[in-house]
Amino acid sequence: MFYRLSGVHHANYVSDSRIFKVPADRNLTAFIFLIGLAAPFIIPSLYLNSYMLPWLIWTAAALGLNLVTGWAGQLHLGYAAVMAVGAYSSIHAARFGVPWEFALIIGGLTSSVIGSLFAFAALRVKGLYLALTTLAMQFVMDWVLTHSPAISGGSHASLQSPTLALLGQEITTDTGFYYVAFGWCVLVTIFMLNLKRTGLGRALVAVREKDFAAAILGVNSFYYKILAFATSSFIAGVSGALLVATFFFLAAPEQFSVAVSIQVLAMVIVGGLGSIIGSYFGVALILLVPGIVNGLVVTLSDGLGMQIDVETLAHIPNAVYGALIVIILLIEPLGLGKLYGNIRDYLMVWPFDQFKK
Amino acid sequence: MDWVFLSELAINGALTGLLYSLFAIGLVLIYKASSVPNLAQGGLTMVGAYVVLALARDVGLPLWLAIPLAAVVMFGLGFGIERVALRRLAGRPVVMILMLTLGLDIFLRGTTLAIWGGTSRSMELGVSYDPLFFDDIFISRIHLVGAGVALALFVAFMLFFRTRTGIKLRAIADDYMASWSVGISVERGVGLSWALASVVAVAAGVIWGEIQGVDQALSLLLLKGLTVAVLGGLDSILGAVIAGIILGVVENVVSDFLDPLVGGGSRELIVAAVLILTVMIRPHGLFGRHDIERV
Amino acid sequence: MQEKVEAQNILSMNSVEVLYDNVILAIKGVSVQVPKGEMIALLGSNGAGKSTTLKAISGLLKAERGRISRGEITFQGVDITEALAQERVEMGICHVIEGRRVFEHLTPDENLTAAAPRGMSRSTLNAEKDKIYGYFPRLAERKSSQAGYLSGGEQQMLAIGRALVTQPKLLMLDEPSLGLAPFLVEEIFGILQKINKDEGLSVLLVEQNALAALEIVSQGYLIENGRVVMHGTAEALKSNSDIQEFYLGGGETDFHNVKHYSRRKRWLS
Ligand SMILES: Nc1ncnc2c1ncn2[C@@H]1O[C@H](COP(=O)(O)OP(=O)(O)OP(=O)(O)O)[C@@H](O)[C@H]1O
Ligand SMILES: [Mg+2]
Repeated sequence: MFYRLSGVHHANYVSDSRIFKVPADRNLTAFIFLIGLAAPFIIPSLYLNSYMLPWLIWTAAALGLNLVTGWAGQLHLGYAAVMAVGAYSSIHAARFGVPWEFALIIGGLTSSVIGSLFAFAALRVKGLYLALTTLAMQFVMDWVLTHSPAISGGSHASLQSPTLALLGQEITTDTGFYYVAFGWCVLVTIFMLNLKRTGLGRALVAVREKDFAAAILGVNSFYYKILAFATSSFIAGVSGALLVATFFFLAAPEQFSVAVSIQVLAMVIVGGLGSIIGSYFGVALILLVPGIVNGLVVTLSDGLGMQIDVETLAHIPNAVYGALIVIILLIEPLGLGKLYGNIRDYLMVWPFDQFKK
Repeated sequence: MDWVFLSELAINGALTGLLYSLFAIGLVLIYKASSVPNLAQGGLTMVGAYVVLALARDVGLPLWLAIPLAAVVMFGLGFGIERVALRRLAGRPVVMILMLTLGLDIFLRGTTLAIWGGTSRSMELGVSYDPLFFDDIFISRIHLVGAGVALALFVAFMLFFRTRTGIKLRAIADDYMASWSVGISVERGVGLSWALASVVAVAAGVIWGEIQGVDQALSLLLLKGLTVAVLGGLDSILGAVIAGIILGVVENVVSDFLDPLVGGGSRELIVAAVLILTVMIRPHGLFGRHDIERV
Repeated sequence: MQEKVEAQNILSMNSVEVLYDNVILAIKGVSVQVPKGEMIALLGSNGAGKSTTLKAISGLLKAERGRISRGEITFQGVDITEALAQERVEMGICHVIEGRRVFEHLTPDENLTAAAPRGMSRSTLNAEKDKIYGYFPRLAERKSSQAGYLSGGEQQMLAIGRALVTQPKLLMLDEPSLGLAPFLVEEIFGILQKINKDEGLSVLLVEQNALAALEIVSQGYLIENGRVVMHGTAEALKSNSDIQEFYLGGGETDFHNVKHYSRRKRWLS
């Protein structure tokens, strides 16, 4: 219908290694990109700021985790701690007077270094045990953060972020913040799309599928694991820093707690391990739907003239958030990305029979 | 060195540790019977405590009736969880199962608080708060009661895993496919393990609820429970008991030294460190099954 | 006449098709009959669909996201195409799966206990165990060590013994000889034959080792690419020149002839 194709049939290697294997996908992406650019002029600033912006930054962060968990297959339950490292080091650097461009890079690099510590755990264990170790490391980092006033910003444990300025331009408007987030998310997405086609991307997948077999094929899984953790941590660090600089404005340890680590992992898994488009969906779902459901409950109860306890209302989003994770996993363990893929494959050859690869 | 003080720390640590074991036994049960790491045990424990209170306060039953009734309710809930959720993901990669149990945990906690609210409630078991004295050593009564419950459950489950049903559960954990092939109902077995773990959650919820109040914080026992379970070997009930005692003593004694140095609150750090060290040095814990390499 | 044949067959599988993941067609219309009390072999090369056929009969397909998309299977005259694995075991079909998958962390004795049907009394179970230890004395010697540390042959014996505890009427074995020394294969096959004689147990045996299998069975089916391409008595199969060449390792091994394989494999159209 939209695709006007009978299926995807590659006739040569170049065609198989294209980013967009179907022209319609490329057109769709270009269209969405343009909408993204025009968003500040279409979407009211309240929505832009409280929905679009966090969505984009969390997507960038989730893509980073997807790199290490979805592609390299290494479970990571300490991702928020790595984001915290980036956020705090950037902000300290910026407060110290380092220009923001460099402060962000410093944040990313510090995260890379600390994040690579997680890789050492990954060298020894995997699967469940790696998840538990990274979880414990998250607790250690949390502890260090809350127990060192020098890092977390004194007795109130909150650290004011200096005004963001990029390319000599102070950024103070909602539109400005939005474009920063948009730019970062696009950058990470392009990086990930390209990574998929390179030898590095394939090596990561080899490491995920079988460490041992990868080693026999000559893929040095030690090197690639560290590389995967370092790269993903860089993305985490910058995303964490931008989150504080454009959204929270005040860094506090709770913003990067265990619950947040679990949340990012949920975004990635609900979106679909290894799926880039899936991460966009996953973040949107986890970030936005609980709030929407809560809004619905309020409207409904008002409409029916019922009084709902404030406390109940406060906890409904959490219950919905948990339920969403469970439901999506039960419907399609490979996540929203896979569901999207199924629909796309179906539409691709509609009105004919199912798509056969 | 003050030996009396140190032994008081150690004894109380061991008792607290047994209470961690009480929690960890639930984790071990499910792992032993299905190789599923249940990160929802914290949520289950919280639900267990709230259900007891709901039956006792809201319905007005006496505690001695409310607790067994809550155990029955939770037994059903455990079966339900397998039926609705775990069954569909059997045999999927561990990432998805971990995420499923995490999602379940969030859901259980959110729902409990949405229904009963977040303000801390007290259990009021009626155990006296006056400590017992042995020579110069203080011991809390509720800790003693809890340790007793943990040991009783330990004995009960040790015996259970020698029965025919228990053996079948262990068989399921070893190999789902082979279990199906000889007619073992894997679904029912996994369901039973969740049901039993939910009953353990009631016990842990009641004891810990009495100690620290019934609220959100009950679900935070998960980290300690996990540490104990891993240190003990994840599928060993004996391991969970011994590891609980070890963790309790280490935590109590070390934090006593460490707290003045770092300004307090070092317990969590110690627990996390024990978890990391265990996994790095001896992933299968003290008594865990080794994965047998086949040539 | 037709009905009489039906009555003699304990298992009858009629043009069964199996799909994995709803897309992979693993077997394409396989029909297999197992006469009561006989031993039948399924032969075929790697990936031919032998294991899939057994899983279709035992109901283990579901565990691998496979399903029967066409055809039917009847066991003792009852249609079992849709039955659960557990129900089929209760009816008397037991499948010893590929790869000697014993319960590694249990002792052999516990392995046998684990397979006990629901409601089997303790004394019956003990009698069953004694009988199995009688067939496999090696297991009795090691009955309380960890099953994961048994030797390959002992594990295979345990897997068979474990299946016998379910008191099957039809025993299906998937490559029991895999990776075992020839004398062990002989020992195990000998015991199978003995059980078949003593108890009238019907056996469906999947084997790569066609030579050994054809020695003990009465009939064989040859499966290639998900289809039955040949069926006959063991004698007939043994004397078939194609079988001899491709499965029994007889005939010339002259590599000049290798390129004629595709031509000589007549059944592959
Ligand atoms: N779980 C599965 N999912 C998808 N395809 C499968 C699955 N199991 C088997 N197949 C496919 O079905 C076909 C038949 O496989 P099967 O295991 O039945 O072969 P086999 O004859 O037992 O081979 P072998 O001698 O190697 O054991 C193969 O092409 C295989 O790739
Ligand atoms: Mg096979």
